[in-house]
Amino acid sequence: MEDFAPIAIFLFVLFLLLGTGVWVGLALLGVAFVGMELFTVRPAGDAMMTTIWRSSSSWTLTALPLFIWMGEILFRTRLSEDMFRGLSPWMARLPGGLLHTNVVGCTVFAAVSGSSAATLTTVGKMSIPELRRRDYPETMVIGTLAGAATLGLMIPPSLTLIVYGVTINESITKLFMAGVIPGLVLAAMFMTYVALYSKVSRRYKPILDADMSLSQKLANSRFLIPVMVLIAMVIGSMYLGYATATEAAAIGVIGAMLLAATQGSLNWSTFTQSLMGATRTSAMIALILAGAAFLSLSMGFTGLPRALAEWIGSLGLSRFELLMALLVFYIVIGCFLDGISSVVLTIAVVEPMIRQAGIDIIWFGIFIVVVVEMAQITPPIGFNLFVLQGMTGHEMSFIARAAFPMFLIMVLMVFVLIAFPDLATWLPENIRQQPGG
Amino acid sequence: MTTDRPFVRRALDAIYDAAGAVAALCLVAILAVIVTQMVTRWVNVSVPGLAEYAGYLMATASFLAFAHALNRGAHIRVGLFLAALGRHRFWGELWCLVIGTAATAYLAWYAVRLVWFSWKLNDISQGQDATPLWMVQAPMAAGAVLLAIAFADNLVTLVLTRRDNIGSDLVDQSHAE
Repeated sequence: MEDFAPIAIFLFVLFLLLGTGVWVGLALLGVAFVGMELFTVRPAGDAMMTTIWRSSSSWTLTALPLFIWMGEILFRTRLSEDMFRGLSPWMARLPGGLLHTNVVGCTVFAAVSGSSAATLTTVGKMSIPELRRRDYPETMVIGTLAGAATLGLMIPPSLTLIVYGVTINESITKLFMAGVIPGLVLAAMFMTYVALYSKVSRRYKPILDADMSLSQKLANSRFLIPVMVLIAMVIGSMYLGYATATEAAAIGVIGAMLLAATQGSLNWSTFTQSLMGATRTSAMIALILAGAAFLSLSMGFTGLPRALAEWIGSLGLSRFELLMALLVFYIVIGCFLDGISSVVLTIAVVEPMIRQAGIDIIWFGIFIVVVVEMAQITPPIGFNLFVLQGMTGHEMSFIARAAFPMFLIMVLMVFVLIAFPDLATWLPENIRQQPGG
Repeated sequence: MTTDRPFVRRALDAIYDAAGAVAALCLVAILAVIVTQMVTRWVNVSVPGLAEYAGYLMATASFLAFAHALNRGAHIRVGLFLAALGRHRFWGELWCLVIGTAATAYLAWYAVRLVWFSWKLNDISQGQDATPLWMVQAPMAAGAVLLAIAFADNLVTLVLTRRDNIGSDLVDQSHAE
């Protein structure tokens, strides 16, 4: 790093713009502009526009609005009631009882939604009042929900993974498949925690429901069949190579509409609401991606990524040490930025480092998602905390404390992932050849 | 309340929302294109250029919805500093809107320039669709201009009335996470 001053200015502008509350996409654009002016004589504006056009009109990106739309449709159905009714009879007898409906409900909804907050709202809408009525400890109701909802980011479809895949030019389908097993393992870890808690804690004395016969249980869970079919169609079509991620998203949107229609919750008003919601959310991400595209062009000229990669290389860190450093780095960033922003902001710098260290880029996608998930439940900026605050009226600090054990479980998950990388890499290596990329 | 609002205000809001509605139609069109692509592949018919068109629609949908999303508070930002300003928040908002207006005006200028050059040089898409690029880039430029107008609009409104038109919608923001 021979020219330290320009890099310092560059970083200062970055923190200034982001920190003072300039919209993330525009902040990235501004920093990128400064970088171009400092480090190259190339005309910045035209280069910017060509880059932004190329990235905004990419075919892979179309998976994003479609998956968002699918989630928006399901979010407006009766799915949350059905889910609680269908899952609770099976969970009631497990140690930890109905707290498991939070975890399993989130896991199921995560498989049709790419968003953690939507998962949280859908599952929590029903489970919070029901669990409270049965006197489950409030910290556990809140904590498990906050933690398990983050599975929305990991279990496919996942908006964060789409953004990651688009930014580093990797197959979205592979990334999605990589998320499946780690997502299920994390869910199992949450459930283990719930079970242990119920055995140990003295505050755990919920009111139990009357036991149901097997036929009653089955009758109650018939409502879950449509959503299970939808999950099988979306994930199965990708796994078997019948559809690309974008096509699976289209199947998902149509399936979700059919599901909503059979429930009678599809009308003009819910249709337009879901469509406009999806339009806005995807525009929001598109603006960040546009800014990020220009930023990564500009970053290339600053030489920062290469310099950092070389510097890290010269330190002779082991792979494990590098990952630990990145873990801390992302937890700190995640305290201030949302997941998608922190991925696009850092990836131009981190990607060369990762590649040089010989870390599998698909595996790293899952690593980054677990870490970004943690950010969802860490104050001061954690979307799940905000959403839960809106839903329950509790203080932010109470919710953050309730969610803290889940944070620790996710840290544990990071180590599990490092110890057993096959969890993430086995499934994507075994998908059928997909058509047309 | 709505009847008191001046004509310019109502007209601008109507334009932002109309562009948002067109963006929404583009999403429906993306769905239609993808489904067509899937079906034609299964029956072994090839329609060239469909993938490119899905991409153009994506760019159109994104850019046309920017201004609408801005006023609905869907665009994400780090709110800590603004919240910490308390009663001095006005100055923070002013700073953000000045930067925002400058950045989006810059973006709009070069977006229009890109379309202009594509038209003048008669640029054709490299893909199988062979569409003149200015046609598919024009909606993007329109959206960029609209976003710049929306920022300037908010800046002026903030200076005049000490309040901008940007709502806060954590729901739309959080649905991305």
